[in-house]
Amino acid sequence: MRKFISLVAVALLLYSCKGGTSLSDTLPEIYPDYIGVTVPAGIAPMDFNIPEEYDRVFVRVTGSNGGLLKTRGRWASFPVRKWHALTEQNAGGTLTFTVLGKKGGRWTQWQDFIMYVSSQPLDDYGVTYRKIAPGYTTYSRIGLYQRDLHSFHEEPIIESTLTPGQCMNCHTANATDPRQFLFHLRGKHGATMIQQDGRREWVTTKTDSTLGNMAYCYWHPEGRWLAGSINPVKQCFWAGDRQPIEVFDMVSDLVIMDMNDHSLIVDPRLNTKDFLESSPSFTPDGKTLYYCKAKAYDVPRQVDSIRYDLMRVSFDPETGTLGDIETVIPASLHGQSISFPRPSYDGRWLMYNLADFGVFPIDHKEADLWLMDLKTRETRPIDEVNSPLSESFHNWSSDSRWFLFSSRRDDGLYVQTYIASIDEEGHCTKPFVLPQRNPRKFYHSVMYSYNAPDFTKSKVRFKTHGVYREVFSDRRVQATVK
Amino acid sequence: MTTLLGATVFSFWMWAYPQALNYHEQNQLFLCTWEYFRERLALPGGFADWLSEFLVQFFFLRWSGALVLAILAVLLQLSVWKAARSINPEGNRSFYSLSFVPSLLMLVHMGNMEVLVSYPVALLLSVAVCPFFVKAGWHRLWLIPLFWWLLGPVVIVPVLFSAIAGRKTSDLLHLVYTALVFYAGYRLLASQYPAHDAFFGINYTRIREMLPVLQVVIPFVTLGCIFASGLGAKLKHPVTVDWAILVVLAIATAGSVRLAYDRDAYEVLAYDDLIRHERYQDVVKRAEHYQPHNPISACSVNFSLFMTGQLSSRLTDFYQCGTQGLVQPSIRDNVSDLTSAELLWMMGMPNITLQYYFDSMESIENGRLSGRFLSRMADCNIVNGWYGPAERYLDLLSHSLFYRKDALRRKEMIRNEAAVNSDPVYAYVRSVRFKDDFITGYQGLDIMMAVLYNQNKDNFMAAEYYTVWQRLKQMEGAE
Repeated sequence: MRKFISLVAVALLLYSCKGGTSLSDTLPEIYPDYIGVTVPAGIAPMDFNIPEEYDRVFVRVTGSNGGLLKTRGRWASFPVRKWHALTEQNAGGTLTFTVLGKKGGRWTQWQDFIMYVSSQPLDDYGVTYRKIAPGYTTYSRIGLYQRDLHSFHEEPIIESTLTPGQCMNCHTANATDPRQFLFHLRGKHGATMIQQDGRREWVTTKTDSTLGNMAYCYWHPEGRWLAGSINPVKQCFWAGDRQPIEVFDMVSDLVIMDMNDHSLIVDPRLNTKDFLESSPSFTPDGKTLYYCKAKAYDVPRQVDSIRYDLMRVSFDPETGTLGDIETVIPASLHGQSISFPRPSYDGRWLMYNLADFGVFPIDHKEADLWLMDLKTRETRPIDEVNSPLSESFHNWSSDSRWFLFSSRRDDGLYVQTYIASIDEEGHCTKPFVLPQRNPRKFYHSVMYSYNAPDFTKSKVRFKTHGVYREVFSDRRVQATVK
Repeated sequence: MTTLLGATVFSFWMWAYPQALNYHEQNQLFLCTWEYFRERLALPGGFADWLSEFLVQFFFLRWSGALVLAILAVLLQLSVWKAARSINPEGNRSFYSLSFVPSLLMLVHMGNMEVLVSYPVALLLSVAVCPFFVKAGWHRLWLIPLFWWLLGPVVIVPVLFSAIAGRKTSDLLHLVYTALVFYAGYRLLASQYPAHDAFFGINYTRIREMLPVLQVVIPFVTLGCIFASGLGAKLKHPVTVDWAILVVLAIATAGSVRLAYDRDAYEVLAYDDLIRHERYQDVVKRAEHYQPHNPISACSVNFSLFMTGQLSSRLTDFYQCGTQGLVQPSIRDNVSDLTSAELLWMMGMPNITLQYYFDSMESIENGRLSGRFLSRMADCNIVNGWYGPAERYLDLLSHSLFYRKDALRRKEMIRNEAAVNSDPVYAYVRSVRFKDDFITGYQGLDIMMAVLYNQNKDNFMAAEYYTVWQRLKQMEGAE
């Protein structure tokens, strides 16, 4: 009965507009571009805007497996529960959007567009990210946040207001499981906060034998080991209009920390003066460590000569010993540079960034995402998700059927988080930006980049009470060298 | 007397320290949007903060800024007097002058340029509700958390006022209740802030770790003045006593103001204010009279000398501190880089200007945006053809009162190369900026000036700055 009433209402609306409704033979210019994207059932409503000159929008969504949803207003906004019901009913099917816009008292109806609902669920709670102004050397407000993927709810994990003067690095969970996670504070009272099963400790990972604190970390799947790069990050600036900034590592080494006794494995082969080692990541079986390695140059003068190859080294999780090192992709030979290798948690794929040079692809327009089939070692650019602007940091969902990545495609500066799915053959779908209410207004007014995103299997529990005292007390667990 | 207070405060900000108005204005960007209001209201004291930012936007014009602060001072004095009268409506008027103390103390307190207008606003509103608080009875149970949320910890003023004026045990219990409200509110709603911030006020100062003594003292002095002036006394010559007190207060205030206002810091702010308004000759005049010995001052005076055609000829007439007094290396605060950013913009280095302005804005300790800085950042992005960020900045500015018109004008140029190239400022900067892309840095700034001049011989600013840079290097070497 409700469906019937809805259909009658739509029919009446269309009839009432008949005299003033023009039919367009083009697709609507919606923001964000959700046309043809694939979404998981139960995702937050995919609200969108039509061009600003239209003051009203009417949208009817029909599911291939049934279900109807309609909305009208200044932008297309869907109620959470009804949207969830519709997407769940149409998992594996499609949603057809009929969009009408009103301008100057006249309605325009565009061609219908399709959104695919994946049969593959995305069961993770949400995503975590760092919000930071995309700029240079100074940051007033930084925070680590978690966002429920199934609604619009966002909440802080920790904000820099709690630890004034300390810069905050990326939240790193163990394969999306926040029962074991860390983040790094930089500054006078810097430390690496490591929380395991609700118990947190503040660790100084700098020792007399290492260059500095661990910055970019990756958990061993068993949780005992933590691989990290030690890389004092520097910036230099371009004079022309290509890009404003170049971020690089002055020096860079890799270490592995044993969480049992906070001792560091410092393998001389990964701690070389003439080479830079970065971006470590363990394979899901825990027996291989991927990382990137580049010849060191005089920086910043020769910053555009630094090109990283993809390397891997075998790892014995029982003893913590590293075995033979192998060059997997000698990207530097082809004038390219690899960063952020991330094996999928099912061990099937390895995703990485490829740019012309350097290790911070977010500042490189040409940076794209690439995929390696770990069975065949074949690689390819993921054209389904790449754009003319930079694609950068990426991570896998806990079941490895979805991935997210950072991109500057929207306006060339502010980084947003995009999500796409991948099937068993490695085919990826058109990505969609993290949904927001009134997305144009949201994304065009937010003054932060969504930095270093990751999925989180469940909600991150982090008690802020006592953090200020702990940080400024400077009581630290000191890492040692094995 | 009240009129005199208003006139004094107005004159003070209008002529003595107008640069403070400029400083406050350029460290915030008030937006007329619901989201902005909601964001401010998300923290304890947020309403006072929002109202303060609404008022501070009028500091864009010197006279309206001075008027706003004068009105605030007068309203605070009248509120104190009204609260005093509420205790004893028939009381003797002898100590009317004591009601001026909070306003005068506030004048001293605001000598610290990081004290925000939200503090006097919050205090004013909390004093204004004092008479109602006494009569509110059990309604205080919800009024206390509400006012704590709206105004911040100065809610202690009406709570203490009603406790003392009411003289009942139940009134004293409200003090305990207030402490509980503070604690519960902090744990539940402001847990992303250190406890001392939540208890002493998150938004009363720009630098949150800072807790000026007067911030704690003023509420209690205000209460003292309310009761002292309200109680009254039978005197033979009440008017004489009143004026005598006022004279003493005026002298004490004048002395305190001299101590509270750091001359060098305010002089540097004055240079910035004048340069922002392109009053270069006035900078030179001020420097002839007194010039602080620091690189920001040298940089500002040198830039003003250049703009008035005197840089080479009068360089040694003023304080110099090497090349960093010509162009400052990037410094992480919200003042130091501004003159350098402006001169590099004119010289044809929009990328460094963008960096300097971005870092200056991010150095605003309370994380606020800046209308002035965003505006120039939009210019830099437009010149570089980076229209996405420029559009974002201009969109934001279009929601403000004083930047709106210009933002809308520039927004029309977005993605319209012909329009950008026909704008005299953008066309000029595009004509003098770098044609090639290479890594830059402060260390090679003089080489960059030479490159700019060599690629465009009309860029006489680059040539003169290069020459003076070499002179200053030689002077440094000689020392």
